[in-house]
Amino acid sequence: MSEQLADLTVGLIGAGNIAHVHVAAWKALGARVLVHSLEGAPELAEQYGLEVSPTLDALLGQVEFVDIVTPSPTHKEIALAAIKAGKNVICEKPLTLTATDSHEVIDAAKAAGVVLYPAHVVRFFPAYKAAYDAIQAGRIGKVAVARFFRQASSPAGAGWYRDVARSGGVIMDLMVHDLDQARWLCGDVTSVYAVQNPPTVDGISPVNVAAHVTLTHATGAISHCRATWGATGTTFQSGFTVAGASGVLKFTSNGDSGYSEELQDGDTGGDLLIPASTLGESPYLTQLRELATGLRGGADPRVLASDGATAVYLAEAARASMASGRAIDMTSFDTSGAVA
Amino acid sequence: MSLKVAIASFAHTHAAGYAMLLGAMPDVDVLSADPDGASAPDAGPRGAEFAEQLGVAYVDSYDELFAWGPDAVVVTSENAGHRELVERAAAAGAHVLCEKPLATEVADGEAMLAACEAAGSILMIAYPVRFAPSYLRLRAMVEAGRLGDVFAVLGTNNGKIPYDARQWFTDPKLAGGGALVDHTVHCADLIDGLTGGASATRVYAAANHVLHQDKGVSVETGGLVTVNYDNGLLATIDCSWSVPDNGPTWGGVSLQVTGTNGSVEIEPFLPHVGGTDASGEVFLAIGGNLDASLLATFLGAVRASGPAKAGTTPAVVPQPDGAVGLRTLRIVDAARRSALSGQPVDL
Repeated sequence: MSEQLADLTVGLIGAGNIAHVHVAAWKALGARVLVHSLEGAPELAEQYGLEVSPTLDALLGQVEFVDIVTPSPTHKEIALAAIKAGKNVICEKPLTLTATDSHEVIDAAKAAGVVLYPAHVVRFFPAYKAAYDAIQAGRIGKVAVARFFRQASSPAGAGWYRDVARSGGVIMDLMVHDLDQARWLCGDVTSVYAVQNPPTVDGISPVNVAAHVTLTHATGAISHCRATWGATGTTFQSGFTVAGASGVLKFTSNGDSGYSEELQDGDTGGDLLIPASTLGESPYLTQLRELATGLRGGADPRVLASDGATAVYLAEAARASMASGRAIDMTSFDTSGAVA
Repeated sequence: MSLKVAIASFAHTHAAGYAMLLGAMPDVDVLSADPDGASAPDAGPRGAEFAEQLGVAYVDSYDELFAWGPDAVVVTSENAGHRELVERAAAAGAHVLCEKPLATEVADGEAMLAACEAAGSILMIAYPVRFAPSYLRLRAMVEAGRLGDVFAVLGTNNGKIPYDARQWFTDPKLAGGGALVDHTVHCADLIDGLTGGASATRVYAAANHVLHQDKGVSVETGGLVTVNYDNGLLATIDCSWSVPDNGPTWGGVSLQVTGTNGSVEIEPFLPHVGGTDASGEVFLAIGGNLDASLLATFLGAVRASGPAKAGTTPAVVPQPDGAVGLRTLRIVDAARRSALSGQPVDL
């Protein structure tokens, strides 16, 4: 690995599902990882050989920067604490649950002279990056109509996901990836129209739910995002179709992987010893390498704090659209007075 | 500590990819030479101009290149030139990554292995598909016994004819042949890796010249190679240059492996973003850069082994090594002879 990332000491905050993929990436970068979490830190530490910090302050005192992978509603408070301690911050998406909060965190970082990056990992998936590069290179001409989709087995059966005040619902939690993609591939957003079925009632999201959001862009492009919390066991899938004036780009994650098998039942032999590189480089590794390189003074990464704030702002507009039944004009949409 | 890596010749189209990857490595110094480039009938730039385009340092002669004292040499000449450059690299005490196929003649290949062995040099063959994620998964499945006993393999390595960028690929002397030589070896290497180095015992090849006759090439452009191995395995490899010139991508590799408990098929170059653009179908490959894995493995072994010491085996022998290169070259050589005689060739 490059000398630029030698001797990293990372403060991981949170120990849930996404922590595992982040830890794997930090380990691949040769980083020393300290973990602090209200739950699960000792187990995570034992599994991967990390050091547990009993308190957030203890962690902040020892690390070069923090990687926040806690549930969404805690992002703001933890990010502000890290910024106050003078530490750079990598924060899982959504950056915070409101654009106002995102800008508060961004302003605090600016005032403290620290750097803040949101982890919008989809920008680091090869298919999306290939489409971005091809569009930038003019391969399909001016972008006209784009569609993005993302579906997963619903996480909302239990826990905090159903509480929209905490998870933001299917749009803030899942579609936020594609809201960012739509902006990345099609340009700044001028209006947002959103519908969801079944609707959220009294702040509680349905377990199985689909949201459809249509965006218009300053470039003249129009785009659509579909996000679905599907039946339990739904295979995770995502994809896009981007049509331009002189071409089309298409991708689905469930398309040809280049590997297929048909095996009979019965004795299936010994343990599989698949080399670590078998799945190609993890986009999480690509992402965290690029973000850490940026924090070390290298080139700016492909996603900045303002992108994270804008994705949240779009998700908020989608919710406002559902509430009003109207398309939201993004040239004047104001979540609280803080966002221009 | 920085490694000194030399690139010997820009004749092979893969040299450009290696040069860009090596040039971007912070702990590698690159020097290149392409003295035969000026006289090549190629459309694209060669020599100093190409080196400048690739952003790597350049000298005019191989004498200067080897006098630089490289730790490692990447040999990317015409196939027929591999032997001389590999022998010079070994004589200079350098480790070697040699473009495939190892050589055009088996005797040359044997001499190259002997030269590297005597010098204590690593000889690795540039078979990047070995590093494809889907292949690594397949090999793990085979090694874990999930497929049962593997008894048959069907491999394809079909591509566009490598004609426009570098004319020597269709020169029988410089390339050693046509599609049989260019494309049989990749699948043969993947099979070699699955079997732990089984040797071919009988090879039958049918070849023809139906494709690309508009280009006036004299070498075979289509070929089917059937191989029996000493472990009983049966395999056939379609090595044809059968992807049309206007195809959306250069071509691909597939390997269909059948065992007593089921089968696995891989197509390492299939993952892509598709679509169309003004000139037809779009194919944006997203399978990762296999050359990067190949170079990382080679340079890792070079670093771990330290300078070549005559008469001693390198501490790390990266795979696929020269022995794989020679086994796969024997298959190509037998296929060439079989295609001429119309009958199988026993090895």
